[in-house]
Amino acid sequence: MDFPLIWNTLLVGLLRGGLYSLIAIGLSILLGVMSIISMMNGELYMIGAYIAYFSFTAFKMNPLAAIFMAAVGTFLVGVVIERGPFRYMRRRAGEDWYLNSFLLTVGLSFLLRNAAVLLWKPTYRGIRWYWGGTVTIFGSVGISVDRLVALLIAILSITALQLFLHNTNIGRAIRAVSQDERGAMLAGINIGNIFTLSFAIACMMGGIAGASMLSITPAFPYMGTAPNNYAWLVVMLAGLGNVSGAIVGGLIVGMVEAISFQLIGEGWPAVISAVILIIVLVVKPSGIFGSAVKGVWER
Amino acid sequence: MQNVIALRPREYISQLGLPFFGIVLLAAVPLVAKDEYIRHLTLIGMLFGAQAMVSDFTIGFINISNFGFAAFFGLGAYTTGILTTQYGISPWVGLLAGMLMSGLLGVFTGVLTMRLRGLYVSIMAWFMALALQALTLVMVKVTRGAWGLFVNPMFTSESILPSFYTLLLITILIYIVIKTIIESRIGLAFRAIGMDVDYARASGVNPTRYKMVAFTLSCAFAGLLGAFYAHFIGILTPEVMGTQRTVEIIALNVIGGRGSVWGGLLAALLVIPLFEYLKSLMAIRLIIYGALLVTVMVFYPAGMAGLIWSAGDMLKRRKVE
Repeated sequence: MDFPLIWNTLLVGLLRGGLYSLIAIGLSILLGVMSIISMMNGELYMIGAYIAYFSFTAFKMNPLAAIFMAAVGTFLVGVVIERGPFRYMRRRAGEDWYLNSFLLTVGLSFLLRNAAVLLWKPTYRGIRWYWGGTVTIFGSVGISVDRLVALLIAILSITALQLFLHNTNIGRAIRAVSQDERGAMLAGINIGNIFTLSFAIACMMGGIAGASMLSITPAFPYMGTAPNNYAWLVVMLAGLGNVSGAIVGGLIVGMVEAISFQLIGEGWPAVISAVILIIVLVVKPSGIFGSAVKGVWER
Repeated sequence: MQNVIALRPREYISQLGLPFFGIVLLAAVPLVAKDEYIRHLTLIGMLFGAQAMVSDFTIGFINISNFGFAAFFGLGAYTTGILTTQYGISPWVGLLAGMLMSGLLGVFTGVLTMRLRGLYVSIMAWFMALALQALTLVMVKVTRGAWGLFVNPMFTSESILPSFYTLLLITILIYIVIKTIIESRIGLAFRAIGMDVDYARASGVNPTRYKMVAFTLSCAFAGLLGAFYAHFIGILTPEVMGTQRTVEIIALNVIGGRGSVWGGLLAALLVIPLFEYLKSLMAIRLIIYGALLVTVMVFYPAGMAGLIWSAGDMLKRRKVE
């Protein structure tokens, strides 16, 4: 392998890693705060891409505005889904909440994906570029501006979320609920609103990922399946409900996927993911960084 | 112990011999309906229903959703497909081989994940499924990949009847095995695990072992049905292992009613023929699946079996009065 190819592979890995981190953080929030095993975040990724596509092409918006629209749109979708089916189901939540919420997200993901097929037909809707142009690094290697910006957006969103979770009252409330729901309620936190907010943020993370990657992966009804699957690998690798572990996990998975695709070829990343998961389950089932939030999960 | 179980309305229904009645009704379908198309639809419905029953064995009783179900089905199918076409083995042996292979993969998945909470099993099975599907797609020399593997039919006759009754026999066998286990002492442990793992553990039930048994059996049955499917349908593509298939089975199971075993079969026999008419509109069909799954989960988690149970309950009350 020559130098530009290695560089390119690493770059793709880094970019995909950022993307998986974003979605995986959404999954971690859902799992940590609301104990939901979600299978629908890939579909939010898809919806984000579609919103950005239509904002960018039909309404001729500025790329950043289009991505912002996608974030707001998926946030609202999250609010609707939480206030609707999840709230209704939570009223009679019992011991089997994990399985019930899992099945509900499975149904929703099926519904959303196929609604997209019906609405927008299974055709690729991509754009050639948001900004266009390349930046040259190390003299010979070029990176397209879009990729660079997508990576930047991923890093910025994750940083902003971390700051929000750790430095604002609402963020602290979210973390409090994830640590002890009843205790948080006794401390005067409105659990219902926190649930809605966390759910919407989790959905928004997927939406941002889909929107910022639009020029690299075009909008397509089935585009959410692979990111959802890798995001879950990240969550298992990093430890359930662990938000900061998801960043490192995302980078590892992104790199592994890019390198295995480059070295062995199509189809094998799925096999390698399964092997990684087996190793994790044998060696340390709580994940590389798991333990801090295990109490929430084991409840 | 018998008293506790006898209090349940579902017992009243099964005492009425409803399952037996259902089997007779199913067996009579080809005799009444001379139309090959209706027979075919009933067979497909039964095949999906049997899968939903098998998946209910884990979802309804040990609270584990096998999210890679289709891959266990597909592994059984490909095992018999490869064995019969390349090594000339009889399809009947192929059925057993398919069952064995899927059971073994089930044991492997179970050993890795059963000591952990249910989520791990679902995710691990899911990743196994994705890996298996990718492998069948890539290993073209063995599986012919996306071109499809042609499998010899099990019966030489043109008629669908031998296949129909073979599947009916397999379905009855699976039903009896699942039902026997559930009604036995082991079944009580299953129910206890499904209700609360910690309490079950406190009363001396070893959840890991029981969950292993249920999961492995469920996987093996999935393989058996897959092997039958391979010989019936004649061509296999990696799509049979897709997550979409798994979701369809889970949806049928939930719509039929979790924990009822026969609910999924009933749902499949009603829903699948209906969907055949929507075959040109695949998206609508899948949307209906998703919408039904969400609606049942949110509004009526007991599903169709729950409806029938409450009807049976009302009957019983009237009788007592």
